Amino acid sequence: MIRTSTRLACLLLVFAAGGAQAQTLPSEPIALANGRVTISGDVSAGFGSEDPGFFNYTDYEHSALRLLRLAVSTAIKAGPHFTILGEIRSENLEGVRPYALYLRIKPWTTRNFDIQVGRVPPTFGAFARRTYANDNPLIGYPLAYQYLTTLRPDSIPASADELLRKRSLGWRVKYSLGDQTADPGVPLVSAFGWDTGVQAHTTVGMVSAAVAVTTGTVSNPLVSDDNDGRQVAARVDVRPVAGLILGASLARGPFISQSAARATLGDASNASFAQTAWGADLEYSRDHYLARVETIVSHWRMPIAAPPAQQVALQTPLGAMSMSLEGRYRIVPGLYVAARYDYLGFSDLTSATATLPWDAPVTRIELGAGYSIQRNLILKGSYQHDNRDGGVLLKIAHMVAAQLVFWF
Amino acid sequence: MKETLILCVFALVSFVVIQRPTKLLAARNGAIRGRVELKRTVAPTERRPGVGDLGTAAARDLPDLLRSVVYLESAPRGAFETSDGGHAAMDQRNETFVPHVLAIITGTTVDFPNSDGFYHNVFSLSKTKTFDLGRYAAGNSRPVRFDRPGIVRVFCDIHAHMNAYILVFGHPFFAMTDKDGRYRIENVPPGTYGVIAWNEGTSSETRPITVPDAGAAELDFTLR
Repeated sequence: MIRTSTRLACLLLVFAAGGAQAQTLPSEPIALANGRVTISGDVSAGFGSEDPGFFNYTDYEHSALRLLRLAVSTAIKAGPHFTILGEIRSENLEGVRPYALYLRIKPWTTRNFDIQVGRVPPTFGAFARRTYANDNPLIGYPLAYQYLTTLRPDSIPASADELLRKRSLGWRVKYSLGDQTADPGVPLVSAFGWDTGVQAHTTVGMVSAAVAVTTGTVSNPLVSDDNDGRQVAARVDVRPVAGLILGASLARGPFISQSAARATLGDASNASFAQTAWGADLEYSRDHYLARVETIVSHWRMPIAAPPAQQVALQTPLGAMSMSLEGRYRIVPGLYVAARYDYLGFSDLTSATATLPWDAPVTRIELGAGYSIQRNLILKGSYQHDNRDGGVLLKIAHMVAAQLVFWF
Repeated sequence: MKETLILCVFALVSFVVIQRPTKLLAARNGAIRGRVELKRTVAPTERRPGVGDLGTAAARDLPDLLRSVVYLESAPRGAFETSDGGHAAMDQRNETFVPHVLAIITGTTVDFPNSDGFYHNVFSLSKTKTFDLGRYAAGNSRPVRFDRPGIVRVFCDIHAHMNAYILVFGHPFFAMTDKDGRYRIENVPPGTYGVIAWNEGTSSETRPITVPDAGAAELDFTLR
């Protein structure tokens, strides 16, 4: 993987060096059929320190700091009312998967109203829709959108004690009920997969609103449903003055898979166990600086099994709260500095021996800079400090990373 | 004392001698005129697909890509005097730079007003002039002075499809074409010059032309 990233980075740099004048690499989207088909690309190659604490893992193999990502996006306009949009991605050159594929319907060409059907952009929150790598001033992701908690929709702890024993092991976890394969837990909100369903969006003056009905939840976006339930998500954002965006989001949908619920409560169970999430975000930019704040609160209602002897039953809902503060300042043309402070905390859970947050709280500070080699080729560097309060894995980590981002 | 006086008289005479021919030539200056025909299709930069957007982006204006710039490759002596080139403007209107191409002389200050109800962030990483004006709202304008000749590509950091060209010349012998592709470079001293036509990053071969006394020379271009 490192070799692949290095080769790609060298290739991009060679092209860039020669292309500064000749523009060897494409610098703008490829337009076909009189602009009815538009194709853009996004390549990011990251090289980072080892992450033995699994702070940046997006599943049990991939770290956000050491990720090679190739993405191709396409928009096909089929008349004034219909557009097909899609994006395919390959991470670390391990196959290609569709990340987004949906139909955008504009019923009235004169009104700012759209319906989107398919694997649609996230309604909830602000960060997950920043799909392009150059939208992220740093290399790491906000904890809420990336850090893997110890919750799984398909594997359920039999007791509070069992859940507390797994604190910090979200990169690869399994419980005694449901699926017995070790798999990654879920983040509060996934930035690495989009949900499937129907979404409507409108803008009236300074207010934009979106509502969606989808198959999965914000933690666990799905293509095919695993619990016969639908998530409803809504978002409103207001832009009272230029540069200021105030957003609020809400999502609620069944989280636990039907098979896991039955494994916990018996075959007769058809109860629904939902994830409910609230989010608020603010962005303000002016002159050469940009500031973003986002907070997310999530509750998961879990099926409660009869606990084994001398253990305490799970208490639900399990809560989590994240806070992210991000800033970017452009020092000179083509060079910026950026910083992000992140906190991810969890509600307390009482076992037979202790009362602790059900997963180990994490604090992250990331400081970085980005330099534009050319307009669409950016070299980023960052330092990241992570601190985990508890758990069995490494508690404090210092990491450095570099990332080369190319887009057209 | 005597030597100083002689030196002063010599300097005064030299100044008059150097200045007078220019004035005399100016009276007989000619022009170069003609037409630039575009035999190629240049499409405006499309928006990126915007797969992460919750809805359709608002309609925008399209830049006028048909305007070309015709200029003398090398200018007559005395044409490179530094001067205050005055002011020019490149508006940001409906997600488009207007005009899309601006030809100016060195020393010109270009104002970048924002006429949209949202932010733009004008910047350039061109070697000729590097600048970043930051984000500013409607009704505001920020200036940039261009002191070196060359081509400057201008972009918006927020709207990737917005781009424009500023061609900065060290002499005044250039002209923009009109909507029919016609141009006229005025006040050219008689002589033989190389002339180049430019459109959207593509330049013609250098074409020789002789400008007669007080007359106009015709020169057409075809850009493929």
